[in-house]
Amino acid sequence: MQLTRRNFFKFMGVTGASAAAAPSSAQAWQSKAPPDPYGCLVDLTRCIGCRKCEEGCATVNKLPAPVKATCDCTVFEKKRRPDVNAFTTVNRYFSGKLDVLDKPSPTYVKVQCMHCQDPACVSACISGAITKKENGTVHYNVDRCIGCRYCMVACPFEIPAYEYHDPITPEVRKCTFCFDRISKEGGLPGCATICPVEAITFGKRETLLKLAKQRIKSDPNKYVDHIYGEKEVGGTSWLYVSSVPFSKLSFPELPETPSPKLAETIQHSLFSYLWSPILLFGFLGGMMYKFDKKDENTQDKGGA
Amino acid sequence: MIKKIVFYSGLMILVAGLSMAQVWKAPDQEKAKERAKERVKFVKEYKNEDIILHKMALVEKGITHKDITENYFLLDSPIIKEREDHYGPVRFAHKRHAALIEDCTACHHYRPKDESMSETTRCSACHQDSFNPEHPERIGLKAAFHQQCTECHQEKQDGPVTCTGCHLKNVPDHKDLVKLADGADAFEVTAECLRCHDQAGEDMLKTAHWNWRGPSPFTVEHRKDVQHGKGTTALNNY
Repeated sequence: MQLTRRNFFKFMGVTGASAAAAPSSAQAWQSKAPPDPYGCLVDLTRCIGCRKCEEGCATVNKLPAPVKATCDCTVFEKKRRPDVNAFTTVNRYFSGKLDVLDKPSPTYVKVQCMHCQDPACVSACISGAITKKENGTVHYNVDRCIGCRYCMVACPFEIPAYEYHDPITPEVRKCTFCFDRISKEGGLPGCATICPVEAITFGKRETLLKLAKQRIKSDPNKYVDHIYGEKEVGGTSWLYVSSVPFSKLSFPELPETPSPKLAETIQHSLFSYLWSPILLFGFLGGMMYKFDKKDENTQDKGGA
Repeated sequence: MIKKIVFYSGLMILVAGLSMAQVWKAPDQEKAKERAKERVKFVKEYKNEDIILHKMALVEKGITHKDITENYFLLDSPIIKEREDHYGPVRFAHKRHAALIEDCTACHHYRPKDESMSETTRCSACHQDSFNPEHPERIGLKAAFHQQCTECHQEKQDGPVTCTGCHLKNVPDHKDLVKLADGADAFEVTAECLRCHDQAGEDMLKTAHWNWRGPSPFTVEHRKDVQHGKGTTALNNY
């Protein structure tokens, strides 16, 4: 069949129409969040900044001992981030809150992977090395990792760390939510076990949300009416309640839409039924055919 | 007669030997240790009443700090030890605390719902293992101790609030840790100590025990002394 100009436009019209219909026929974005995950509720009003969670984390994950582990307050002079050798860190903030003696009262904040319900890192991972497990863990499998570090770029909390010092077998490192421990019946994460004041409560996310709401309701004077992680980026397994607004404690202000939603919607609508490559290559093919023909004509003329 | 003397002296030696073999133990400490090992039945439901009402109920029933029989408890339990073991138990002077604040409800904040149970119960009756999914609002025993003690100490600006203010750290058995050859000299022994306790070594170098002159903030009655040290008042063999 010879492709005439008319036929070409017909073909384009049909492809265009089907393309316009494709995104709507393709399924709308759906959350892949596990229905009943575990979580941890961190109550910042309880945390006393003893950094035992750092110690407990290092012990159970066989990491080097935390810097200045023995209750040395100078460690708080600098804000620290989790890195390859420390999956969790505690930072101190003076938010202007005063204690009973009108002295500035510190608020301590534990930082670790939030184990998002719809993790951006899982969506960004091109090799399936990071997965969201049924128990809520965002799990990293080193055997599948190709070291592209897309997860690090994608994470809204800037958590995954990379072993840049190890050129042969580098790993992405982050809080594991003690996957092996909590997979066992009655198992607890290392940090929650060691916490002396139960600033970290481990349990099912649903239960923890109820508990957090109850705590805020029973003492509205003490808590700000916000559960950080309830709605941020579509919800996270780790939740925080505080007496100080979260914006003062370096918590990023994030939208309620899950991070992967926009990217995945664009990607899925572009590639459903392969319509966009078909359209592109169809168009290119058409152009080639047309210009090729033109060339032939000019060549013929030139040759004559 | 001689037989009798021999018999009695023999008996005395035997009794003395037996009593020597038995190490004396403080009876109240042993009692506290036994008590700390006990597990009590979990109180599922508590009477959620106002603390004032609870205080009035105690007054009505005539329960005061004078009813306390034990001088002190060891705040310890197999519930805590099951999970972890970093510090020794705290010796809590129950009677003294009660006599000082004269308010049982400061710690005994709720009572069991079951009216037949006593007005005040042990902490470990209501607070047991952490993260009980059936009672998520109920904090574990370790957290209950820590929150109760520290919050009150902070509020009253009295009493210790640091880890080692109440606890003794569990010291690991140094038998396996110390590696010294037989007949090691003093320098080798010091070097072996410093292998792990290097900070202690560095700290010592800043004290008046090492310097000719210097402050001695941790020496009793010489805290404000700036001219302490072997160049002035102190003697040492370094």
